[in-house]
Amino acid sequence: MEVMIELQKHGKTDTENFADITAPLDVMTLLSMPDHLRKTAITVCRLGRATAEEVAQQTKRARAVESAYLNQLVLMGYLKKERQGRKAYFYVDKENKE
Amino acid sequence: MGKIIAIHSYKGGTGKTLFSVNLATTFALKGKKACLLDMDFRAPSLHAIFKVNNVECWLNDYLNGTCTIQKALVDLSEISGGKGKLLVGLANPSTEAIRDMSAKDRKWEMRALGRLLSLRNSVLDEMGMDYLIFDTSPGLQYSSINAIVSADLVFVISTIDASDVQGTKRMLCELYDLFEKKTYIILNKVLMDISSKRGKEELSERLGNTHTLPIFEIVPCFCDILKAGGTYIVAKEKPQHFFSKMLCHMTEKINHL
Repeated sequence: MEVMIELQKHGKTDTENFADITAPLDVMTLLSMPDHLRKTAITVCRLGRATAEEVAQQTKRARAVESAYLNQLVLMGYLKKERQGRKAYFYVDKENKE
Repeated sequence: MGKIIAIHSYKGGTGKTLFSVNLATTFALKGKKACLLDMDFRAPSLHAIFKVNNVECWLNDYLNGTCTIQKALVDLSEISGGKGKLLVGLANPSTEAIRDMSAKDRKWEMRALGRLLSLRNSVLDEMGMDYLIFDTSPGLQYSSINAIVSADLVFVISTIDASDVQGTKRMLCELYDLFEKKTYIILNKVLMDISSKRGKEELSERLGNTHTLPIFEIVPCFCDILKAGGTYIVAKEKPQHFFSKMLCHMTEKINHL
């Protein structure tokens, strides 16, 4: 959340501009997350690579809600986002640098 | 579709390994395909129980990404007398390996979680196993929580020791619930006679608010099993033992969870 506020302060909102900000998404990090984000993050861990639609199917929440949570996790540095045509894929960067 | 089961506890010495080994053996004896993984990298024990010391690859190697899960599994199906299948993944018991596993960083643990999550596909779907059982280390440790996150069901083995009960209750709210896991408690080494009203009351008094606890089974303290000290597998060597019969009953219940 702090990362997001910090980024917004600088007038940057496009998550794809921050692909270099990464943090390991380990279980202790998952434990310390707010419930709504943890659910989304675990689902991406399980699926490996997924769109907001695919995550929403698993969590039974609205696609738009998942899209917002996924982008928040990207801003926090836990997930990476990659565009392929009209679709945006989210995944855990296992080779990331702390 | 297969099930992934994590056997965990708050404290050590509660009987996790005893349950894991005997549960996997009972499944195999009933003709099921079970895979048991030793996730206690700080104090490995399955190699001693199954008396296997020379393996091509350890579970440590799989988590390090240097071998496939198939290479890290030892086929011990002969235990079931050809009825079922039992594959076991062993943790490396050497001091060097234990030291190495204790010094892993968060990034490594994140990759290890990914590898454990992928076992659903490789062990259950591709290899066609019915059950994958994780024998974890006690308390809040990376390897245990990774196993819990990867599992469908979590069995928490607790004794009636006050600190164990308190710790188990805390983990229910602060660990298993946070990961939305179906969690069940197995009370082990219970000294009260729960067939009597007085014994039941005594146990309730010791546990406090029993109605809020998801108790799966209450297992009495078996002196002969404690005396044996893991030198044999009860479900295999003593199928008529009350403990073996309880395990048969538990496997039936697990099938329906």
